[in-house]
Amino acid sequence: MEPTETPDDELVARTQRGDARAFDELIVRYTPRLYGLIYNMTSNHEDTNDLLQDVFSKAYRSIRGFQGKSSFYTWLHSIAANMTINFLKKRSRRATMSLDDVDNGIANDPEFISATPENDPRHQANLSELQKKLNEAMMKLSIEHRTVVTMFDIQGMPHAEIAKILGISEGTVRSRLFYAHRQLQNHLQEFIKP
Amino acid sequence: MPDEDSVSKLLRLKRYEQPPPGYFENFLVEFQTRQRAELLRQSPWERFNDWIASIAPSFEVPRLAYAAMVVCAIGASALIMGRPDGDSAGLAANSVPTPPLTLSSPSAASIPIGEPQPVALTSTGSPSVHYVLPTRPVSYASSRSF
Repeated sequence: MEPTETPDDELVARTQRGDARAFDELIVRYTPRLYGLIYNMTSNHEDTNDLLQDVFSKAYRSIRGFQGKSSFYTWLHSIAANMTINFLKKRSRRATMSLDDVDNGIANDPEFISATPENDPRHQANLSELQKKLNEAMMKLSIEHRTVVTMFDIQGMPHAEIAKILGISEGTVRSRLFYAHRQLQNHLQEFIKP
Repeated sequence: MPDEDSVSKLLRLKRYEQPPPGYFENFLVEFQTRQRAELLRQSPWERFNDWIASIAPSFEVPRLAYAAMVVCAIGASALIMGRPDGDSAGLAANSVPTPPLTLSSPSAASIPIGEPQPVALTSTGSPSVHYVLPTRPVSYASSRSF
């Protein structure tokens, strides 16, 4: 029998009572997910690491004020998304993207292989080129569009959850996704099957 | 829409982008180290601010408080604006209203040179007062006497 995971609510309550180890558990639980969110918005590992530290630091300082009106997941993602958006707005993003930290595991992913069939010359592109193109295309999107694309397409969040995290309507989420996808189609023409 | 599906499929590949190996394992240690360093750097005032920030979301202002504040502000400003100023009110009560004074003189063409020029200090709206110079102007007086 597998040990059951302590629910977020319980860890939050323990943290609010001063149990720092409970917050450590929350950090371990949410770091990979938040890393994905921030990294795909910034496309830079160093910035992601700094922001992630700041996000958890802010969450820890504010956790006493967390009343459970939303889930801890939504609350934490909301802090992360807002801090990243503010960061990106403050700095007009540099165009350089760090691809050094990208895991090579992408090359073995079956979905990736099927997306780049070797026998079709139009789709013959090496892995790093596709990664580069993907990142470039993402960085050409506005911050708001990039955020919803990251949450929906990369993180797999439902529209309703994205709307709650960003404090916008579901309609706005859908509309942003529509325009973002249209832009991405133009940038990624060569990789898209006819 | 097939194109949109393809875009989504391509974007999903980004899920496989990962940080350097061991990053997640070391993240907690780095976080704790930074947090301690931050605590040492923080002044008591910053700590107080953090404490306020942490409790602020739990404090809810009653809905009518804002409306009451606005009403009080309007009432206070109306009182201040409507209240007559003490000093100026006293003066206004005791003094007789005086019309503005104008200094006028008849045109030079109608008065022969050498005669004393009447200067009239008139006050509009009240009986005019005339001040007439009794002698010739000093500049016309003879310096010799016989």
